[in-house]
Amino acid sequence: MNDAIKIHGIEMHYRGCDALRGIDLSVAPGTVMAILGENGAGKTTLIRIMTGFQKPSKGTCSILGLDPTVADQVLELRKRIGYVSDSPALYDWMTIGEIGWFASSFYPEGFKDRYQEFIARYDLPAGRKIKQLSKGQRSKVALSLALAHDPELLILDEPTSGLDPIVRREFLESMISVAATGRTVFLSSHQISEIERVADTIAILHKGKVQLVGPLADLKESIALVTVSLSDPLIALADLPEPSRILAEITEGRQKQLIVQGDGDEAAAYWREATGVLGAQSRSASLEELFVACTRGDSIYKRVTEPSNPSTLEAGKS
Amino acid sequence: MFFSIDPNNGIAIYEQIVRQVKFAVADGVLIPGQLLPSVRTLSVQLAINPNTVAKAFQILQTEGVCESLRGRGLAIRSDAVVQCNQARRTLLVERLRSAISEALHGGLSTKEVRRLMLDQLGLLDGNVATVASPVGSVADESEPA
Repeated sequence: MNDAIKIHGIEMHYRGCDALRGIDLSVAPGTVMAILGENGAGKTTLIRIMTGFQKPSKGTCSILGLDPTVADQVLELRKRIGYVSDSPALYDWMTIGEIGWFASSFYPEGFKDRYQEFIARYDLPAGRKIKQLSKGQRSKVALSLALAHDPELLILDEPTSGLDPIVRREFLESMISVAATGRTVFLSSHQISEIERVADTIAILHKGKVQLVGPLADLKESIALVTVSLSDPLIALADLPEPSRILAEITEGRQKQLIVQGDGDEAAAYWREATGVLGAQSRSASLEELFVACTRGDSIYKRVTEPSNPSTLEAGKS
Repeated sequence: MFFSIDPNNGIAIYEQIVRQVKFAVADGVLIPGQLLPSVRTLSVQLAINPNTVAKAFQILQTEGVCESLRGRGLAIRSDAVVQCNQARRTLLVERLRSAISEALHGGLSTKEVRRLMLDQLGLLDGNVATVASPVGSVADESEPA
């Protein structure tokens, strides 16, 4: 199965700033890939490169088999993807209906009808001018435009930032509808709770590099938070025996909290035996804790698992 | 049935779905022959990745809680009720064990723990509404001294 997205060695250097310092990512078709990163980690730059709005300093990128740096191919690509950014650029003077009509000229037959269906579903009045819309309504117009041509790949760059929970929920449901029909979704977001619900694979971007990547379920199962109580804060803990390893460590008073890749209970048991350890407990790390560990303090580049081929939708599909 | 999914409680989402379906069968909320919603419908309803829902359904099928009804989807099997009761019982035992373990870990003696449990049982007995098909359908074993 060919990857929907294949990114290799992408770098982006500006004067005085290295936005991306070597990104490798692949996304299998029919899956939802979410990238997390702080503001300024390079997520939007990466998406601009993927959609052909920017040429990378180095590296290659293949989206749906097309190269966004090549003029002919990028036009073809834009017909096959849907893109929603966090502040959608729309013609303010047009009405909701007019912008749909305008956009339909770029796509094959059927766009207008499907666009009408979407704006009806999202309760958007066709005669209202874009400049009169609320933030949530603007985003829904952008989403309708992005979905009306039934794209193979939906790219979302923090589409729900600043939106109320109801609109966020509507976006989530559309993402899932798209994924349920076998299309691919590439999402950049801060909303960790949403990512936990919707992503198949996640990648954590920090300082222009991918710090952690892998299937979300595997990541959560293989990462634990171990809290160790010590008799003295100066005591050091031994590294874990292979194949487990410490991803991050924080000391607070006489306690250490470690993010461990591997069996948390085994790690806790191992450290419990060490000199000066009063107790050790393990629990599963939340995605938020994982994110904070990867982007703060002693974060080290760690590849957990290779993104595997997604399981195909089986039981219950009617 | 209504699901209550918490991505943050440490239990994998697919596992939460599996458990809740089993409990629903045990409670009589889902009856033998009743269809489960499709993967697509449920995933949109819960706002959960469809692969996660598919995984849960796969497990429920493998464990014999539901079966594929040609052209219609997954239906609860008639022999699922006993099994789901059993699953609920196992989970309750686990929770009880966890509570007892915590009490012992905290320094209570076995004698104290037993006394506390009997006290609580005394307070609750007769004051708790039971579900449609209670777990303790087998003859009660005699109480230990």
